[in-house]
Amino acid sequence: MEFDLAYLMAQGPALMRGLWLTVQVSAISIVLSIVIGLMGAAVRVLKLPVLDKLVIGYVEFIRNTPLLAQLFFIFYGLPSIGLKLSLFWSGVLSLTLWAGAYQVENIRGGLETVAKGLREAAFSLGLTPWRFFRLIAAPMAIRVGLPSMLNTSISLLKNSSYLQAIGLAELTYVAIDRISMDFRTIEMFVAICVIYLALVLVLSVFANRLENRLNKPFRV
Amino acid sequence: MTLLVKNLPFILQGIGMTLALALATLLISTVIAFILGILATLRFRWLRWLVKAYVELFRDIPLIVNIFFVFFVAPLFGMELSPFAAVTVGLSLWGSANGTEIVRAGFASVSRHQWQSAAALGLKPWEVYLFITGPQALRSILPPFVGLLTLLVQATSLGALVGVSEFFKVGQIIVERTTMMEGWNPAFTVYGAVLLIYFVICSALTWFGRWLERRLKNDQRRPASAGPLLVKPLTQLP
Repeated sequence: MEFDLAYLMAQGPALMRGLWLTVQVSAISIVLSIVIGLMGAAVRVLKLPVLDKLVIGYVEFIRNTPLLAQLFFIFYGLPSIGLKLSLFWSGVLSLTLWAGAYQVENIRGGLETVAKGLREAAFSLGLTPWRFFRLIAAPMAIRVGLPSMLNTSISLLKNSSYLQAIGLAELTYVAIDRISMDFRTIEMFVAICVIYLALVLVLSVFANRLENRLNKPFRV
Repeated sequence: MTLLVKNLPFILQGIGMTLALALATLLISTVIAFILGILATLRFRWLRWLVKAYVELFRDIPLIVNIFFVFFVAPLFGMELSPFAAVTVGLSLWGSANGTEIVRAGFASVSRHQWQSAAALGLKPWEVYLFITGPQALRSILPPFVGLLTLLVQATSLGALVGVSEFFKVGQIIVERTTMMEGWNPAFTVYGAVLLIYFVICSALTWFGRWLERRLKNDQRRPASAGPLLVKPLTQLP
């Protein structure tokens, strides 16, 4: 059982295709989940009457149920009430909803740090709640909430491997598929572990740079 | 509803299996986490570095890959693991990595002066850990550990992918069976119900965690006004 590098090279293109799908699904879901996070956090902080309770319920529900069950509900459950989504978009939807719940909390945590006085000042200057949120609160909140937002994004990237369970041919799926055909277990696991670690590393480096950039005006 | 009644023993069995998995994993994770977490507080740089490598490795690799890894690779080294054992090991690696970080942070949150005072009073290092820093660290360790347990309960659903018949797998089987034998697809109801039951279990745990956190926080505020609580553990020493 020696390590067969040549085999790994031969499987390179297949792995790259899987990687590309992983990156695609993750990137789209990360962007959408941040959009959900922003909207949800705005609703929470502005204390909009009914929506407020809905967002709380949504966050609690997602955080207290397994992603795998959410995924199966979306992919296998929804079609039976007439909502049919493709494999890819089911994956995007479930990852987005999952990460969105965490992003709501991350961004809300950031928004809480925006001083009350600022809000009163903005309102007394005649800004609408929406403009206050967009121009003043959100930019400040994102700066504070950025580290936890990026943690959630990294988790999302790792959790895109859940999609192999519904048969989306992303990285993990490709690897497991090859293992069941060729039994090159060690090679495949080393390969995907290295790829995942590299992806996480790239994302954290990007995160650090973004953080530095955003904090530039505030450095003493 | 009739589906639920008909499969009730099966479902309860699944829930039992899920809880068994979660508890077994929690037990192993806790033991490893405390050993590694305390090792990381010692003053050996290479040791800290090793623990950090362990933590980062198992946190950064997707949990699914972790479980598949144990499941597929263990047999290559002559260890025939049952699916249950493989999932327990895979989850424990992940759980202990997260737990280690919690324990390490817990000990780091205890003021250095506690150490210095205890040492000045002539306590041996293990006595300091057991009677001084340990109990204080436990306060900040317990609530996140309940959170970890919640995550572990959720993560046990991954057992379904390697064939452990825990709660999620039971749901899958019910869907397949009904589709084949009765000719209609109950996926929406069954997976909906599965989500709800997980939600009830995990919400209860989350609620317990928050309650614990509040309680421990209140405890911490008391000695500031009441004063001599910090001395108490000392008086209990032989």
